Parts: sequence; C-alpha cells; structure tokens
Amino acid sequence: MTNIREKVADCLVRAGSTFREDQKEAYRRAIADEANPQSCWVMQQVLDNALVAEQRRSPLCDDTGIPHLFLEVGKNRSVTGTMMQEIMEGVELGLRQLPGRPMAIMGDDYARIDQSGGLNPDSGALKPSPILIKPVDEDIIRLTILMLGGGPAIRGITQRVFHKHNVDVVIDEIVNRATPAVSQLGCSPCVLAVGIGRSQFEATSMMMEAMVFGDFSKQTEFEKKITEKVNEANIGPLGLGGKHSVLATFAKVGPQRASGVRIVALRPCCCFEPRRASVEL
Amino acid sequence: MIKDLTTPLSEEAISQLKVGDVVTLTGYIYTGRDAVLPKIVKAAEEGTLKDLGIDLQGAVIFHTAVSPAGVGPTSSNKLEIECTFEPLSRHGVKMHLGKGSISKETVAALQENNAVFAIIPPVTALLGSQTVEQEIVAFPELGMEAFNRLKVVKYQAIIAAAKGESIYD
Repeated sequence: MTNIREKVADCLVRAGSTFREDQKEAYRRAIADEANPQSCWVMQQVLDNALVAEQRRSPLCDDTGIPHLFLEVGKNRSVTGTMMQEIMEGVELGLRQLPGRPMAIMGDDYARIDQSGGLNPDSGALKPSPILIKPVDEDIIRLTILMLGGGPAIRGITQRVFHKHNVDVVIDEIVNRATPAVSQLGCSPCVLAVGIGRSQFEATSMMMEAMVFGDFSKQTEFEKKITEKVNEANIGPLGLGGKHSVLATFAKVGPQRASGVRIVALRPCCCFEPRRASVEL
Repeated sequence: MIKDLTTPLSEEAISQLKVGDVVTLTGYIYTGRDAVLPKIVKAAEEGTLKDLGIDLQGAVIFHTAVSPAGVGPTSSNKLEIECTFEPLSRHGVKMHLGKGSISKETVAALQENNAVFAIIPPVTALLGSQTVEQEIVAFPELGMEAFNRLKVVKYQAIIAAAKGESIYD
C-alpha cells in the first residue's frame, strides 16, 4: 500500500462524510435566520446528520455519488503515469472504505445504458469521471475529490445564453433555469454551481472549479444576486417553504468568446454538496 | 411539539395526525421502492403476503434502497412508487415515508384509507445511528431494492399529506 493510495482513500472518505466548517456555519446562519419552523427542522436534521457522519466517518447520504477528480499541479512538479494509477487505486480503496453505494453498471454499451447487465456488488468497482488537471503557481500537487450525486445531475442544465451585452440578462436566465430545478430537486437547501465558458466542456469545467473552490463565507455580488433571486421563490428546504432554498452560489466565469453567446453550466447541488475534500500528494 | 409513534400504527394514532406535525417513529418498518413495491401490491391483491412473511396492518413503508451506504428516501412521486399508495393503504399500510410532492388523487386515496404520507430528510448517517436491525423479508434477488424490514428508533419525519390536505398545497 503506497502513501498516495492511502491519502487518496482517506480524502474520498472525508469528501463523502464531512461538512467543512464554512458549510456548517452556513447552516447555522440559515437556521437562525429562518422563520418557517418546518424549514428549520429540515436544516437542523441535515446539520445533525453531518455531525454524526463526521463522527462515524460514514456516508452523508445513501447516494454516495460518483467520484470526480480535480488535480492542481505546480509548475515545478510532475505527474507520472504511476501516480495516476495510484490515485485510481486510492479511489477504489476509498469507495470500499466509505462504503460507497454499489452502483457500477456492468455490461457492454447497450447493457450499461438500459441497465440490463446488473450492478456490480463491489463498491470499489465504480469508476471515477475523467480527471480535470489545472496548472497552478503554488508548489504543490493537490487532489480534490468531489462526490456528485444523481439528483442534481438530473436537474442540471448546460445551455447557451444570448447575453445581449448585459450581465443581468445572464443572471436572470440562470435564475429562470435554477428556480424550477431547485423546486424539483427535493433534497434542498441547495448550492447553485455555475460555470460560464466558451463551449459546453469549458463551462462544465468552470462549474467543476466553482465547486472545488467555492466558499460559503465568501460570496461575490454576482453569486449573492443569483442566490437572493432564487430564494425569492420561497421554495424552502425539501420544498416545504421558507427563504433558504439556496444557501450559496458558487460561480466561476472563464474566458469568453467574442460573440453574443455565453455557455452556462448549472448544477443545483443537493443539501450535502459540494461533497468535497482535498489532499496534497 | 414532536409526536412519538410506535409501529404498528393504530387507526386512532393516524387519525390524530395533521399536515406539518413532526413525528418520531420507533419499531419495525418496511422498505421498498420502484422495483419491489409493485410486487408487494400484486402479492397483497392475490392474498399471498402471509406466504412472504409480510404483515401490512399498521405498517410503515419507507421508500428507500438498503445498501452498504445506508438508507435515504427516494422520490415517492416516481410512477411505480406513487401508484402503490392506494392499494397498499387499502391493505393496511398506515404511513408511506419518502420525499417529494404527491398528486391530489393520491392525497385523496390516503384520506379514504386513514393513511398518511410523511417526508423524511435524506439524513443517511443519522438514520444509520437510529437503525438497530435490518433483514431482507422478500425478493432478495433485487439486491439493494429488495423488500427489507428495519427496526428503528426515533426516526424523525414530517406529515406531508393527511386528512385530504397536503403540505405542498
């Protein structure tokens, strides 16, 4: 067992079982500020759940999610094929330790689409999504693991916006898309992850980065505006009403195309997301 | 105020519940979702529940899979789950436990059978700490979607549909 495998496995377990301090504080603030007793009850349950999960190092949610990997690499560092292999083995080990819900679909292309090949009972058989690599100035190799659940994936939208040279047009369209998505999500309060780029791939990459670096205690005016506008719909946690349907928005605006179009990726993250943890390798 | 309920649930206990009540559940409850619940309905209609070791009188059905990761509610308004509310209530189920809004027709069917729908947050770790026994009762070939029985202690839920009213109205 190498050090990298163990570090990655531990990182995955933390991602699936731990709320960060800024996340806990966001819940405490929302509970203190919410007048609807049913919404307070839901948010207190979610917070209590996080404390138990952290203590037991057990899953926050039974949909333990698909591992998504984000690797930051400093300019004087190198990533080898061996290291990549050890990262993958660490993911496999971590999924068994969490334990992840066994949800690797077996079979050929057709069988994986219609799920006729059955499920692999091994939690570790679940493959992570393709890895995203970002060059950074820091002298590090840092891996962040995001565990992304199915509910938000169902309600996520990646689509163009004609911006009409006005940021408010883009914000309004994000709000128009997010409001029904949050309502349909079920497991709220949520976090809106937003990426804006020049292509579907870039927008989604930006959205991933927003989830990797987003902080509940540091919200830009752009992010606050989206959160406030969606919260006006009074959907509330689990749809029970109240002013905290969305606890925060994590947005990343990437390079943009010289054109009237912006590609916007939007994910209404569930009440536990972004489930993430980082480790230096 | 939180109301404490113990399974099997009596007609009287259910008739006192109203939308918005927070309850705790203690005792044995069943679990099932889209794959198994239609099979339970079929067995109930054919009168073969006893052969499967299932007693639905006063029962709670929690819409969840049971996997090594734990339990947590799936959306109760999935077609193959919501369509089981009426027949299962008719055969004795008193509480359907899940999440999401259900149709007016389903709310009315619950009222006709003095049954309720309750929402339980997806708090898997907390529920794990409040689950003291679990066993597969029927259809083990469905894996994590088999029909299970759990012994639970003070699961918290909120009444979302009762007496013809819904929390989403």
